[in-house]
Amino acid sequence: MSDIKIKSKNLNVYYGDKQALFDVNLDLNEKEVTALIGPSGCGKSTFIRCINRMNDVIDICKVEGNIEIDGVEINDKELDVVSLRERVGMVFQKPNPFPKSIYDNISYGPKIHGKGETKSELDEIVENSLKKAALWEEVKDRLNEPGTGLSGGQQQRLCIARAISVNPEVILMDEPCSALDPIATAKIEELIDELKKTYTIVIVTHSMAQAVRVSQKTGFFHLGKLIEVGKTEKIFKNPDNKMTQDYITGRFG
Amino acid sequence: MTKEQRLKKRHSSEKRFRFYGLASIFVALLFVLILVNNIFSKGSSAFMKTAIDVEVFFDPELLELKNGANEEEILEADFYDVTIESLLKVYPANTLEEENALIDLFTTDAEIEIKKAFLEDNTLIGKKINLEISASDDIDQLHKGNYPRDLPEDRRRISNIQLKIYDNLIENKKIIKNFNNYFFTNGDSRDPELAGIGGALVGSFYSIIICLLLAFPVAVLASIYLEEFAPKNKITDFIEININNLAAVPSIVYGLLALQILLATIQLPRSTPLVAGITLALMTLPRIIIPCRASLKAVPPSIREGALAVGASKFQSVFHHVVPLALPGTLSGTIIGLAQALGETAPLILIGMVAFVVDIPSTPIDPSSSLPVQVYLWSESAERGFVEKTSATIMMLLSFLIVMNFVAVYLRQKFEKRWN
Amino acid sequence: MNFVLIFLITIFSLSLFFYGRSKTKSISIQKNIKLNALPKFYGYYLVLWCSIPALVFLTVWSLFEPVIIKSIIIETAANQGAVFNDKNEANLIYEKIKAIHLGTYFGDIDSILKESAISYAKFLNLFTNSKIVLIFAIIIASVIYSLKKIKNNNKARDDVEVILKGLLFASSLIAILTTLGIIFSLLFESIKFFSVINIFDYLFGTNWSPQRAFVSDASAITAEEYAELKDAFGFIPLIAGTSFIAFIAMLVAVPIGLFSGIYMAEYASIKVRRVSKPIIEILAGIPTVVYGFFAALTVGPFFRQVGESLGLTVSSESALAAGLIMGIMIIPYISSLSDDVINSVPQSLRDGSYAIGATKSETIKQVVIPAALPGIIGSVLLAVSRAIGETMIVVMAAGLAANLTINPLESTTTITTQIVMILVGDQEFDSPKTQSAFALGLTLFIATLVLNYIAQRAVKKYREKYD
Repeated sequence: MSDIKIKSKNLNVYYGDKQALFDVNLDLNEKEVTALIGPSGCGKSTFIRCINRMNDVIDICKVEGNIEIDGVEINDKELDVVSLRERVGMVFQKPNPFPKSIYDNISYGPKIHGKGETKSELDEIVENSLKKAALWEEVKDRLNEPGTGLSGGQQQRLCIARAISVNPEVILMDEPCSALDPIATAKIEELIDELKKTYTIVIVTHSMAQAVRVSQKTGFFHLGKLIEVGKTEKIFKNPDNKMTQDYITGRFG
Repeated sequence: MTKEQRLKKRHSSEKRFRFYGLASIFVALLFVLILVNNIFSKGSSAFMKTAIDVEVFFDPELLELKNGANEEEILEADFYDVTIESLLKVYPANTLEEENALIDLFTTDAEIEIKKAFLEDNTLIGKKINLEISASDDIDQLHKGNYPRDLPEDRRRISNIQLKIYDNLIENKKIIKNFNNYFFTNGDSRDPELAGIGGALVGSFYSIIICLLLAFPVAVLASIYLEEFAPKNKITDFIEININNLAAVPSIVYGLLALQILLATIQLPRSTPLVAGITLALMTLPRIIIPCRASLKAVPPSIREGALAVGASKFQSVFHHVVPLALPGTLSGTIIGLAQALGETAPLILIGMVAFVVDIPSTPIDPSSSLPVQVYLWSESAERGFVEKTSATIMMLLSFLIVMNFVAVYLRQKFEKRWN
Repeated sequence: MNFVLIFLITIFSLSLFFYGRSKTKSISIQKNIKLNALPKFYGYYLVLWCSIPALVFLTVWSLFEPVIIKSIIIETAANQGAVFNDKNEANLIYEKIKAIHLGTYFGDIDSILKESAISYAKFLNLFTNSKIVLIFAIIIASVIYSLKKIKNNNKARDDVEVILKGLLFASSLIAILTTLGIIFSLLFESIKFFSVINIFDYLFGTNWSPQRAFVSDASAITAEEYAELKDAFGFIPLIAGTSFIAFIAMLVAVPIGLFSGIYMAEYASIKVRRVSKPIIEILAGIPTVVYGFFAALTVGPFFRQVGESLGLTVSSESALAAGLIMGIMIIPYISSLSDDVINSVPQSLRDGSYAIGATKSETIKQVVIPAALPGIIGSVLLAVSRAIGETMIVVMAAGLAANLTINPLESTTTITTQIVMILVGDQEFDSPKTQSAFALGLTLFIATLVLNYIAQRAVKKYREKYD
C-alpha cells in the first residue's frame, strides 16, 4: 500500500468572483499514477496547478484551503515557492520548449538550482534526463540544435526531460498528449509507466481510455467538485456515483 | 554553497532586479518633473512686467497737436519732449548723469506708450494723467530678482545711481508689476521687455492650418486607397515601403527638400508660413497615414459585407460605412501628428524662419517665425530677460501640445468602438 | 489672379452640377428614358471633368511660370549687354528688374535695366493671358466631352467612381513623389559637390572646416583653391562626433528604457502601468528644441561648474550634456517598444520556466529577454537612428568644433549641426560649401534608411516567431 504523498483538504479556488473549485478533498499516493478526469472546465487543471502553486502567476486567482506534501502545508505565505517547484515538476498541454538548444533546455533547471557546477556534471544530467524521457537516442547527436525544431511528440518528451532534470518527486501532467498524434501519445504513455517507478505522477486527461491505460487511481471532477475518487478499475467498472456512471458511459462531456 | 545560501542569493538577486526596474521608471519620471519644473520656474515671471508710475503732462507748448486731432496726425506727431519731461519728474535728478540714468530706467518705447494713451483719448492736451510706463529690461529683471545686487558696479548691468533711483522709487511705491500683454501682442524685438510671441503665434497658426489642409485629405485618401482598393502587387508594396521609410526620415532632410524644391526651384517666398506649411504637410503625411490605415483595418469585414449585400457599390460601402467608423482613430492620429508638427524646428530653420521678424504676419505669405523657432532664436541671446521669455514661450508651446494630446486621447476613448 | 481663377472654376463647376442633375432628371422624365445612374451622379461627372483638368493645369503652370520667366528675362538681359559673373549676380539683377516693375526700386536705373523691366512686364502679361485662354480652352473641351458622354446615357456612377479611384491612387503616389523629391534634392546638389571634391577625400578626410572653402568663381576653381578645398571637407570628424554623442545617449537610454519596459511589462500592476506609461511617453512628445534649451541653459553650465569644482576642464557645450539630454528624449522609444515586445512573448514560455522553479528575474533574464531579443534590438536600432538624425538638441547644446575626441567633457560637432550652420546665414549658391550640406544630408539619409531597414527586419523576424 503506497503512502500518501499529497493531501488536499477543503480546497476552494476563485478566479475573481467566480469559484472554480469547491471543497476538494483528495489524497494522492506516492509513486503511483493518479488520473483526473471530467468534462471541460470542471477544474482539473486548476487543481493540479494548486499543487505547484502555479496559480500564483495568475493575478485574479485566490486559493483557500490546505494542501500538504509529505505532511508539509504548501499554501503557506512563508513557503519558498521556488524550492517547491523544484520538487514538483509540470508538463503542459502544449509542448513549450524554450527557444534554446536541446542541451540548454535541459540544463536550464539544474543550473539555476545549482545542481550542476561543471560542464561534465551538466552533461551527465542532460544525458540522464533525456534517457529517462526516452529521447536520448533520437537527439544525442544534435544537442546544440534548437528545441523548437523537434516534432510535437519529441518536444513533449523534451519537456518531460526538462521536468526530470531537477530531480523532482512529483510530476504534474496537464493533458500532455492532447496536442499529439496517436503514435507519439503511445510513446508518452509508455514513458509514464516507466516513470511511475521513480516519481509520483498526477495526470489530467480528457481521454478515459488513457486514464484506464496509465493510472492506478482516478478522480472524477464535475463543475469544480470532486464527485468520486477510487481505484481506476473500480471507477470504470462499477462506480458508486450515478454522475460518474453517466460520464463514463458518455452521457455527457 | 549550501542550498539555503544559494536560495537566499537568488531571492536577493530577484529583489535587486525588481528594484532596478522600479528605479528606472522613477528616474524617467524624475526627468519629466525636473524639466517641467525648470521651465515653469524660469518662465512664469515672463507673464508679468515691471512698470513705473509716471505723471504725464501733455504740455501744449511741447506738443504740436490740438485736442480732437485724428489718428494720422497723432501718429506723426513728436512726443519725445513730452516724454522726457514727464519721465524726469519721477525723481529729483541733479546731474546730467543722473538724468540719463533715470531715462534709461524706462523702456525704449516709452514715447510710444505715451502716444498710445493719447490715441485712446485725444482730448488730453493740457491735462495730466498717471500712466504706468514699462520699465527697461534691466529694471524688469532686477525687480524680478534675477540680478544679484552685491556685485561690484562694473560687473553689474545697473549702475549705482540707477540702484539709488530704483530704491527711491520702491520706497515711494512707484514701481508696479502688470500683466505683460506685450508678450502676447508684440512680435520679436531687440529689447527683451518688448519682445513677444505674437508673430510666432500667428506664424505657427498659419503653418499648422496649411499643414492640416494639405496633409489630412491627401493622407486619408491615400490610406483609403491602400487599405480598400489597392491590388496586392509590387507597386502597392513599394508605396507602403516608401511611407514607412518617410516616417523615419530625420526632419532636417525635409528641410533640405524644401530648400531645394520649394525655394530654389519653385521659388516660393522664403521664411513664410506657406512654405513651412507645405514642408510640415510632407512630414506629417506618413504620420497620419499609419494610424488611419490601422483604424480602417480594425473595421471588421462584416460591416463592408453588410453594405455590399444591400447593393451598395464598393465605393459607397467604403465611404458611407467604413470611413465614418475609422474616423475617431484617424482624427486622433491626425491631432497627434499636428502636435508633432507644431514642435518642429530644424526644417523651419532651413527654410529661413530664423530671420528677425518684428511685424505680426497678416497673411500666410508674409515672412514670419514659429513658436519653436522663436525659442531657438531667443535662446541664442545673451540677455537674461530673454531667458524668461523663452521659458514662457515653451510653456505656451507645451500647453498647446498637452491640450492637443488630451483631445486626441479623449476622441479615441470616447468614440472608438472596440471590435472584440 | 490665381485665386480669382480658382474661384471662377469652382463656381462654374458647381453650377454645372445643378445643371447636370436637373437636366438629366427632366430629360429622363420627358423622353421616358431609364437612366443608368441617379441624376446626381451625372452632376458629379460634369463637376469632376470640368474642374480637375483645369485645376491640375493651373497648378502645374503656376509652379513653373516663375522659373521660366526668370530664365527668359535673364537671357534677354544678357543679350542686351548685362554682365554678371555667376548665379548670385544674375539673381540680384533679376530682383532689381522685378522691383522696378513693382515700383519699389529706388536705385539708379540704366537702359539695360529699363529695357529688361519692360520685357518683364510684357512677358508677365503674355503668360497670364495665355494661361487664362488655355484654361478656358481646357474647360470648354472637357465640358463638351462630358456633356456628350452624358447625352449617351453613360453609367455615370461607375465613371465617377473610376475618376475618384484615380484621385485616390494619385494621393497615395504623393508618398513616392516625396521620396523622389528628397532623393532628387539631395542628389542634385551632392553631385555638384562631388564633381569638385573627390568622394574619397570626403569620406575619409579627417578635417572639416568649410569656412576655409572660399571660392571666387565656382565654375573655374584655381589650383590653389582646390588644394585648400581638398582638406576642408573631411567627413570623419562628423561621423565620429555624431556617433559619440549617440553612444552617450544610448548609454543613458538603453538601461533606463529597457528596465522600465521590463518593469512595466512584467512587474507593474495595471494601475501603475496605466499611469507610468503615458507619463514616460510625454518625454517623446516634448519638442526637441525644448530639450536643447534645457541642455544649453541648465545642464551644460551645470556640468561645467561641477567639473570646475572637481578640477576638470569641462566645456559648457560638452558632448556629455548633449548626449545625456538626447538619451532622456530617447528613453520612451526603447521603453514602449520593449514593453510591447516583452508582452507578446507567449505566457507558455514563462509558465515552463516558473514550473521548473525559476524566480521571476531568472525567467526574465534567461527566457523572456532572449525570446524577445530581435524585437528589442529592433527598438534599439530605431532609437539609434533617431539619435543620429536629431538636430535641435545638438545645435543648441553641442559645439561647432569638428574635432576627433573621445573625451565626453569636450565639445564636438555632428552631421546635423553642420547642415544647419552651413545653410543658415548667407548662402552662396553654387559654392562647394552650400553643396556640402546636401552631401551631408544625403549621407544622413542613407544611414538612417539602412538602420531603419535592419531594425524593421529584426522586428519582423520577431513577429513571425510569435504571431
